[in-house]
Amino acid sequence: MCAATAQSASRSEELTLKEVISKYSNVSPFVIIKSDITRRSFVYTERALGALDKTKHQHQQRVLIGSNGDGERAVPVSLLLRDGTSIIAMPSPHAKNPYVVDEIGGKLYITDQGEIVEEVEYWYKPHYYDKFTSAGTPMWQVASARPQRLDIDPNSHCHFWHKGGACKFCNINANSTRSRKESNIQKQLQAQDVYETVREALKQPGAFTNLKMSSGSILSGAEIFDDEVEMYIEMLQAAGANFRQRKFPSTLVASAFNERQLARLYENTGLMTYTSDIEIPNEELFAWICKGKHQEVGYREWKRRIIAAVDIFGRGNVTSGIVGGCETARPHGIRDEAEALKVVLEEAEDFAQQGVSMVHCVWVPMQGSAFHNQETPSLEYYVQLAKGLSDLRVKYSLNADMDNYRKCGNHPDTDLDRGRPVAG
Amino acid sequence: MTTINEEIAALLRDSGVSKVLATADMQGVPHILLDQSITINDEGQIVYLELTETSQTNVNLVNSIWFKRRVAVTVSTGKETYQIKGTPAYSIICGPVFEHYYKQALERNPDYDLSTVWLIEPEEITADTYAHRRSREQAEHPLVMHLDRLALGTI
Repeated sequence: MCAATAQSASRSEELTLKEVISKYSNVSPFVIIKSDITRRSFVYTERALGALDKTKHQHQQRVLIGSNGDGERAVPVSLLLRDGTSIIAMPSPHAKNPYVVDEIGGKLYITDQGEIVEEVEYWYKPHYYDKFTSAGTPMWQVASARPQRLDIDPNSHCHFWHKGGACKFCNINANSTRSRKESNIQKQLQAQDVYETVREALKQPGAFTNLKMSSGSILSGAEIFDDEVEMYIEMLQAAGANFRQRKFPSTLVASAFNERQLARLYENTGLMTYTSDIEIPNEELFAWICKGKHQEVGYREWKRRIIAAVDIFGRGNVTSGIVGGCETARPHGIRDEAEALKVVLEEAEDFAQQGVSMVHCVWVPMQGSAFHNQETPSLEYYVQLAKGLSDLRVKYSLNADMDNYRKCGNHPDTDLDRGRPVAG
Repeated sequence: MTTINEEIAALLRDSGVSKVLATADMQGVPHILLDQSITINDEGQIVYLELTETSQTNVNLVNSIWFKRRVAVTVSTGKETYQIKGTPAYSIICGPVFEHYYKQALERNPDYDLSTVWLIEPEEITADTYAHRRSREQAEHPLVMHLDRLALGTI
């Protein structure tokens, strides 16, 4: 099944953005635009960069996976559309057919071949951004701010990279090494810094709806991931000390922990929801693309643990992310897009039946990852994938409030849920 | 976007004046909301503060901004009534404008947890009292009326 089947349509036969929006007239055009900008990437004009105001806009960020531009010059951290949809993407000078962000008549627009596509806005700085912890750590290096989410990623080094087990789409260790060298961003956070930064962030009225933690996998401990669990408990307790109630809207995006580890996390912290990414929802492709995870845990056990988390966190409070489109990667991926989509949605349905929402991001073959020279599937593929995943939540009455457009913003499928929310 | 004149803008700014927001879902089912806090900003856009993320109005507004579906705002003192049709242009969920209205909502009621600041751009404004509607009807459809109204002896 991993071997190439029928070849997908050639690039020249792909529908344009306008054609896709017209064809899928019941899918939000904002979400389609977001997917395509992420897929094709973008660059800034000089005028657009001139509109970056460092006193107002975020221009540097602690990023776990990806980067914050590839040049020397400060660039906006990311973009926001008129409807509140986030675009979690970075400019790329390596992109073959990027969109262009331009400043026209005092407003910022995404343009394509000189035509305006949509208005965009740069992400604003939260009030804590330029402050320092008592240890002298810049708070922007402790917590990143998506438009309504506080991101705290306590460890930006992944043990799966040791012995060649890195996921082929991921650049976490390359990125954290570079961030350490170029921006002096530490790979590991200190709990006191986390406590002080969250305390400061909560002073800003209405700024955040969720606190999310994530990190590279830590394999050490009596059992695999035990040390990762202990790190999260320490960090979540530090963050949680700022809330007047024990549980607070929060998400962990972490390795697939066993039931004992999940129970420890739930019982000892304010954590309310849990995500562990299955990444590639197919066992054979997972074994190839996520080699370390497959060797150490295995696809079936990784999946079983995610589903077991529903018993601890509750239905609707567990999601699993996939790197949408990566299942088509060469040479072992499913090259026929219709077949790839079928495989992904069938597995997503199996998760949904057991109370887990599958959510997708748009695969970006980023620098520093093994797949940096690959091509993503067509825009149409992403529209069908987003709609298919969102439809499954309607079918199985699963809500994705924990991972919605304003709590995460990196999932076109949960962006769509906003137009037809499912009660939890 | 069309311009709202100062007289109607003043009514929109007056928190004592009744304002109604009408939206429809994707099947066309209407939904009406009475909210006197609806106002107008310096750019001439109608401002609606949504307090509930998954309310029917908010869901309808999301679909309106996505698919360019119009909504209507009626503003009325009893004597004067205007209907403004327009399209949601911005759904603001963060940033300084959001923070401004978030604080304003909190001042109004400490229990309010603002979800979204909606900016609706007006496209069509009509005076909507009975006198205005009747005047338009007589001008556009002079044959549509009951004959007894024209009988000798009536005013």
